[in-house]
Amino acid sequence: MKRAFLGEFEEVVLLTVAVLDESAYGVTITQEIEQKTGRAVGFSTVHTTLQRLEEKGYLSSKMSGATAERGGRRKRFFTVTTAGRKALMEVKNIREQLWDALPPQTLQLMGG
Amino acid sequence: MKKNPPRWASKLLEWWGDPETAEEVQGDLLELYAYWAETVGEREARWRYGLSVLKLMRPLAKWKETESSTPFFLRPDMIRNYLKIAWRNLVLHKAFTFINIIGLAVGMATCLLIVLFVTHELSYDRYHAKSDRTYRMTIYGQIGGKEIKAAQVSVPAGPTLAHDYAGVEMLTRLTPDGTFIVKQGPNSFKEERVVFADSNFFEVFSIPLLKGNRKTALLEPNTIVLTETVARKYFGEQDPIGQSLKLGNRGVFRVTGVCQDVPANTHFHYDMFGSLRSIQLRDTWLSSGILTYIVLQPGYSIHQLEVKMPEMIKKYVGPEVQQLLGMSLSDFNQKGNRFEFRFQPITDIHLHSDYEGEIEANSDIKYIYIFSLIAVFILLVACINFMNLATAGSAGRAKEVGIRKVLGSLQKQLIGQFLSESVLVTMLSLIGALLLVWAALPVFNQLTGKEFGLSEITGGWMLPGILLTSLLIGLLAGSYPAFFLSAFKPVSVLKGSIRAGFKSGWLRNLLVTIQFAVSIGMIIGTMVVYQQLQFIQNKKVGFEKDQVLILHDTYTLGKQINAFKTELKKLTPVLNVTLAGYLPAGATNNGTDGFQPDNGDPQATVYREKSYYIDEDYLPTMGIKLAQGRNFSKAFLSDSVGILVNEAAVKRFGWKKPIGQQLWRIGNGNPDSHRKFTVVGVVKDFHFESMHQHIAPLVMFYGSDNFQMALRIRTENLPELLKMVEQRWKAQTDNPFAYSFLNDRFNKMYRSEQVVSQLFGIFAGLTVIISCLGLFGLAMFTAQQRTKEIGVRKVLGASVASVVALLSKDFLKLVLVAILIATPIAWYAMNRWLQDFAYKIDLAWWVFALAGLLAVLIALLTVSFQSIKTALVNPVKSLRSE
Repeated sequence: MKRAFLGEFEEVVLLTVAVLDESAYGVTITQEIEQKTGRAVGFSTVHTTLQRLEEKGYLSSKMSGATAERGGRRKRFFTVTTAGRKALMEVKNIREQLWDALPPQTLQLMGG
Repeated sequence: MKKNPPRWASKLLEWWGDPETAEEVQGDLLELYAYWAETVGEREARWRYGLSVLKLMRPLAKWKETESSTPFFLRPDMIRNYLKIAWRNLVLHKAFTFINIIGLAVGMATCLLIVLFVTHELSYDRYHAKSDRTYRMTIYGQIGGKEIKAAQVSVPAGPTLAHDYAGVEMLTRLTPDGTFIVKQGPNSFKEERVVFADSNFFEVFSIPLLKGNRKTALLEPNTIVLTETVARKYFGEQDPIGQSLKLGNRGVFRVTGVCQDVPANTHFHYDMFGSLRSIQLRDTWLSSGILTYIVLQPGYSIHQLEVKMPEMIKKYVGPEVQQLLGMSLSDFNQKGNRFEFRFQPITDIHLHSDYEGEIEANSDIKYIYIFSLIAVFILLVACINFMNLATAGSAGRAKEVGIRKVLGSLQKQLIGQFLSESVLVTMLSLIGALLLVWAALPVFNQLTGKEFGLSEITGGWMLPGILLTSLLIGLLAGSYPAFFLSAFKPVSVLKGSIRAGFKSGWLRNLLVTIQFAVSIGMIIGTMVVYQQLQFIQNKKVGFEKDQVLILHDTYTLGKQINAFKTELKKLTPVLNVTLAGYLPAGATNNGTDGFQPDNGDPQATVYREKSYYIDEDYLPTMGIKLAQGRNFSKAFLSDSVGILVNEAAVKRFGWKKPIGQQLWRIGNGNPDSHRKFTVVGVVKDFHFESMHQHIAPLVMFYGSDNFQMALRIRTENLPELLKMVEQRWKAQTDNPFAYSFLNDRFNKMYRSEQVVSQLFGIFAGLTVIISCLGLFGLAMFTAQQRTKEIGVRKVLGASVASVVALLSKDFLKLVLVAILIATPIAWYAMNRWLQDFAYKIDLAWWVFALAGLLAVLIALLTVSFQSIKTALVNPVKSLRSE
C-alpha cells in the first residue's frame, strides 16, 4: 500500500496528541496548538484533522467515562498508534537527514 | 457572566451535525466556548462558536464521506455532472439536437405570441378601479319578430335609474357625435374619435388627468378634455389649458383638461372628450340612445336592479308606447314584442358583446378559444417531437444505462440525468424562442393591430412565468424517456436481449398520429377559411363595388355642395355623382325607423327596419338595379312621400303588389315625423351589411345625406382624376381632402376574417413544419436502426424501391389513421365556424381529400429523403458497421 502522506497540520496535531499523552481530546489539543504555535486554530479544523488521522490509522480514540461538566457529555480521548509513531519518526528522520546534509556555510548564513 | 453559547448554533449542531461524533463535539465546543469567553471575550466567543458549528454541519463537513457511499442525486456535484454529460450527448447527436431545439423553439415562440395576444384581449377594461362594479346598460327588444340588441339606451334611462332606485353609486353617459373638422388657428384636422361625456366620466373610468380637475373639467358646456397626444398635436409644447378649438358646427370649445391616452385595452379609444352639456339630447325613451354606464354601490348585486326594470319600463316607457303606437304596453307585449333594459359588465364588452351601436367593432371570445387551442396544439406537437426522438434514441442509450447501473448508479440518478438533458434542451429552445419572438414581433403587430414591445415579454410576471413553463415542459417532455430508460434491467440490456427503442413503438405511433391529426386539421381549417373569404369577396353583392370613389366629409361644404356636385359631374371620367351618407361598406350613417303597414288597423304590427336617405342619382351611381317600379325623380313632386324598398322588405311586409302600398313611419314622437309613405319602386336586394347577416329589409326615403359623396368613375388614369377632384375641393374649402374606394372599404369589412385566415395559414404551416421535423428525425432513426437489416435485404436481392417502401409504409399508415381522426373533427369545427355567416360555402369533400393528400405527400417527402438515402447505401458498408 502506498505510504500515507502526512500533511504539515496533520503532523502538528499528531505531535500535540503525543505531547499531551493521556489528556489529549478536542479542547486540550486545540488550546495546546494555539499556545505553542501562536496561531488561531479553528476547532472544526482540528476536529476534522483528528478524524482524518484516525481514519488513516495514526490515531486511536476512546470515549471517557461520564463527567459532570460540559452538560454531562463524554470526551473522546486520542492516543497515537504504532503506525502514528512510525510516521512521526519517519518525518523526523527525513528532517534530520536533510538538516545534516545542509552545507556548513549555509548553516552559518542561516544563523545556526 | 453569561456562559451560554448561542442557542441557534447549538440547535443547528444538534440537527445537522454528524450523529456519530455529536456527543464529544458538542461537549468540546461547550468547553471551548467557556474558554474563549474568558480569554477573548464573549462577543468573539459567540462568533467563533457559531463559525465552528457552521463548518461542522454535514453538507459542508466532508469527513464522514467514504468512497463507497452513493451521493445524493441532487447534490451540486451530481447536477454539474448531469449537465456535463447532457451537453456531451447533445453535441454527439447534433442532428437530433438541432431538430429538437428548432421544433421546440418555433412551438414556444408561437405559443408566446399567442399568449401575448390572448392576455391582452382578456385584459380589456380590467384596469378601471371599479371595473368589477361597472356595468353598461343595454336594450333588449323584440319588435315585429325581429330581435334588437342595442348598446345605447334611452337618454333618460340612466338618470331615472339612479334617481328612483338605490344601489347606483355613479352614472356616466357618453355619446359619439360623428366626425369633426377641428380647427385651431390656421390648422385643421379631421377628428374621428370625439365623444361627449358626463362630467364624472373620469371618475368612472380610470383614465388619469394630467392637467385640469378630474371632477370639474367637463361640468360646463363647450368644455373639452384632450388626450396627451392630441393636445401635443394642436398646441405643441404650449399649455393647452384655457386654449380653444373649433369643433365643426358645434362651435368653440375651451380646453379644460389633458388626460393620458386611452389605454389600448379599452373598449373605446377617444381622443377628445367634450362635455355632454355642449349638445342637445332628445329626452324621450323610444328614440335614439346614449351609452350609459353605471357603477354599483359596493355590496349591491346587479340582480337587485334587474328585477326593478319591468316596473321602471311600465312607468316611463308605457306612456310613450301609447302615444307613439296607439297601444298600451301590455298590448304591445301581447303581440310578442319585448322591450327590456339589461346590464352587461364592462369587462364583458370587448369579447362578449356585438350589439347595435357599439363604439368599436369588438373582438369575439371565439377567437380567444381558437387561438388558445392552436397554441396548445403547437406546443403539444413540439413536445411530442421531443419525446419521440428521446424514446427512439433510447436504443443507443440502453447500453449506457446498463453500464451506469452496473457501476452503481441508482434509478433516481439516471432520471436526474435524463431530465437535466431535456431541461437543457428546453432552455436552449427558450433562448431560440425569445429570439424568434423578437424577430416576429413587428409582423405579428401589423397582423393583429396591436402594439406589443419586448417589455410585454420581459415585464411583470411574464418572464418568471415563461421560465417556469419552460422548466415544466422540459420536465414533462423528458419524464417519459427518463422513467422509461432508467427502468432498464442492466443484465438484459447488456446481454442484448432487449431491443430497446422498439418496445415503446405503440406510444410513439400514437404520438405521431396525434401530431398529424392536428396538422391535417389545421390544413383543413386554413383551406376552409380561405375559401369562405374568397366566396365573400367575390360574391355578387347587388351593387357595383369597383370604380366607385368616395369623398369624405362633404358636409363641410355646406350649401356649396350641390354646386360642387354639378361641377364634378362635368368631369369626363366621372359618370355619375350622388350624395351618399348611407353606404353599404365602411363609414356610413345608420338609421332605423319603426314602420306600420297601412291596412286600416291602427293596432297593426310594428316593424323596426333599416332606412336610407338617398337622392335620385344614388341607384345609378352605385349600380343597384330596380326590380319593379321606378327610381326617385325630380319630376315627381309627390316623391317626398315616396319610398323605395328592397325585395326583403316586400317579403317582410307580405305584399303581393308592392307598388303603391302605403307604410306609416312611426317617427320619434314629433307630430311631423309620423307620416304615411307610398312605395314607388322596389330595388333588387343588395348586401348593405356584412355577409354575416342575411339581407335585411330596407326602406329608402327620398332626400339626401351630405355626409359623403360617391362618384361612379371610369378611368385608367386615377391619379390624374384625383388631382382634378382635389383641385376643385381646395377651391371650395380649406378642410382636408379625404377619399376612399368602395371596393377597398368593402374588403376592410372582413378584416378580422382576413387576419384569422392569415394567422390560420401561418399556424398551420408551423404545425406542419414541426411535425415534419419530428417525422424526419424518427425516419432518420429507424433508418439507422435497421442499417444491418437493409444491408442483408439488399444482399439477398431487394430492390431500392422495395426498401424505400419498407421504410415508409409504417409512417404512411400512421398518417392515414390521422386523416381518419382529423376529418370528422375538422368538419364539425369548420361547420360551426361557418354558422356565423348567413352566406357561406358548402364544405366540399375534396377539401378534406386534398388536405389528406397533402399530409400524405408531405410525410412521404420527409420520410423518403431518409429512406432513399439508406436504401442507396452499399450493403458492404452497412454490414461492416459496428
